[in-house]
Amino acid sequence: MSVKKIAKDDFAVFVDALIAKTSVIGVQAKGDRFDFAPLESAKNLRLDYDVTLQPPKKYFLPPTEVLMTFEIGGAYRSAYEDEPFVLLGVHPYDMVAINQMDELFQQDNYDAHYMKRRNNATIIACDVVKPSENVFASSMGTAVVRGGYDVLLTDIGNAYVAESGTPKGEKLLAGMKGVTADDAALKSRESVWAKNKKGLNRHELKCDPAYLPRLLDKAYDHPVWEERARTCFACGSCNQVCPTCYCFNVQDDVNWDLQTGKRERAWDGCLLNGFTKVAGEHEFRNQRSDRFRHRLYRKAKYVPSKIGGQIACVGCGRCVAACLPDIANPVSVYNRLIDDQGIG
Amino acid sequence: MSKPKIAIFDFACCEGCQLQFVNLEEELLDLIGVADVVEWREAMSEKSQEYDIAIIEGSITRLEDEERLKLIRSRAKVLIALGACATIGGVNKLKNNFNDLDEVKKCVYGKDSKKPHLATQPTKAVDEVVDVDFYVHGCPIDRKEFTYIVRCLLLGKTPEIPDYPVCVECKAKGNPCLWQYGQVCLGPIIRAGCGARCPSNGFRCFGCRGYTSNPNVDAAKEVIDKFGLTVDHLKTKMVLFGSRQEPTIYG
Ligand code: SF4
Ligand code: SF4
Ligand code: SF4
Ligand code: SF4
Ligand code: SF4
Repeated sequence: MSVKKIAKDDFAVFVDALIAKTSVIGVQAKGDRFDFAPLESAKNLRLDYDVTLQPPKKYFLPPTEVLMTFEIGGAYRSAYEDEPFVLLGVHPYDMVAINQMDELFQQDNYDAHYMKRRNNATIIACDVVKPSENVFASSMGTAVVRGGYDVLLTDIGNAYVAESGTPKGEKLLAGMKGVTADDAALKSRESVWAKNKKGLNRHELKCDPAYLPRLLDKAYDHPVWEERARTCFACGSCNQVCPTCYCFNVQDDVNWDLQTGKRERAWDGCLLNGFTKVAGEHEFRNQRSDRFRHRLYRKAKYVPSKIGGQIACVGCGRCVAACLPDIANPVSVYNRLIDDQGIG
Repeated sequence: MSKPKIAIFDFACCEGCQLQFVNLEEELLDLIGVADVVEWREAMSEKSQEYDIAIIEGSITRLEDEERLKLIRSRAKVLIALGACATIGGVNKLKNNFNDLDEVKKCVYGKDSKKPHLATQPTKAVDEVVDVDFYVHGCPIDRKEFTYIVRCLLLGKTPEIPDYPVCVECKAKGNPCLWQYGQVCLGPIIRAGCGARCPSNGFRCFGCRGYTSNPNVDAAKEVIDKFGLTVDHLKTKMVLFGSRQEPTIYG
């Protein structure tokens, strides 16, 4: 895989050429915030963003999607979105989240709907230039990423360093005007990485993230769950903005012929009232505190046990910003447990 | 199966929800294809009239309306409350904030206020008078949700109506939260299902779909504090659609 140094103007030319060829989703301003959206011109691209309102997850797992169409008592037909696209400007912590989701959606029941979109995607990741108000990727070991992307861009001030990570990325890189990155450029990139490994840390976790599953082993009956959930709206905002939340609900709707219809899935959230409701109206996590605890266990114990110990909170900080009563911050919950239970 | 008969009745309201029927356009023809819509108002004059589904629009503000509603209920197999006026009493409940209804009448109707047809009583939602089988929330209703509910009924399926807050749909749309821009949005305690219509257009949710079944109003009080506002700010926002409902903060 090669590494190039590319002048910023040349990169803009490359992006505009790309837009002419294929559908490009890039980070852009949305009011005084940022978000991923279809990109119409390189002029609108904002690789200096702090954090996007939504993670890029929605391009693989949309808020609502049709899974299949059916006829009652008859045949069904799976529905797939099958269009290639380029996702431009994914930060390392979000890239780590996508890598985790890729693993999860291929486990057990292979999710063809997710994987079709994922395989159609070309991801150009980029290192963080401006830390967001609540990022704590440094604490989670996700401030820098080496893998999953097709191309990784690093802003070194006067130029980008671009490295390919896959054959698809290698081809893309070949189309960018630039020179092989020299030692000075690579050194600058190293210093961006070194800076981010420390500096994306607005909340500091008091332990190595690898310790979190063991911390939670002893925390099930801790008072923190009740205390925090007292002001929880059960609004699911913390779920909806999280790059590693993937729960969904499935619902059918019929057409007016009352014969044919479609099956849709939509994002769900473990904090929501009714999330665990099953047949017979039985609900096994009907307390807000049960659901509040579940999310924090899921991020640092249940999901890690499925993906080789990786912690499923990547420290993007979105839930911290989204939670109105300010109780969702995983770091402050885990730190509280460390204060009370110690480490080890 | 013969086509089920649907009858539509209006009580105290602006008929804005019925207007949404007209706005169904081609879907209205689909609806008529699978159900006989009995003309509203006239329906009551045919004494032998039976209907499978009664749709009630508006809130109940007079004694004779209570009687009329009970009669409709006794004739209908299924009863649907349509729109905020019917589901929660809606804007009409504002008057329940005043103790002296004669004063209210004088203020609204002036010298005509004593006329018998203007007799009034505190506003009730439909389910304060009779049992309601299904609720179509909102002011006005969401057309898609209404037709979904009707199709579920025709199939004998229970419709899935959200009992989670508007924030869920607002966040799924990628909106920035209006609280961060100084608006007192009721989204965290109001039932979703409208697709976060108002916040998606930059306007706070004022609660037309009513509270979720378990709204955390205590949390709302703390959040108000955190944003440097007073509980009065919250109260004034809650009365428009929440008057005389239990979660609304008074006093
Ligand atoms: S739990 Fe919060 S900080 Fe962690 S990945 Fe999810 S949204 Fe980001
Ligand atoms: S923790 Fe915060 S964001 Fe999550 S459901 Fe509760 S109030 Fe909403
Ligand atoms: S709910 Fe709103 S739109 Fe519908 S009838 Fe009442 S006031 Fe009119
Ligand atoms: S704007 Fe309103 S509905 Fe949207 S997230 Fe904020 S509080 Fe919830
Ligand atoms: S956002 Fe609130 S006020 Fe607006 S339509 Fe939805 S429930 Fe009603």
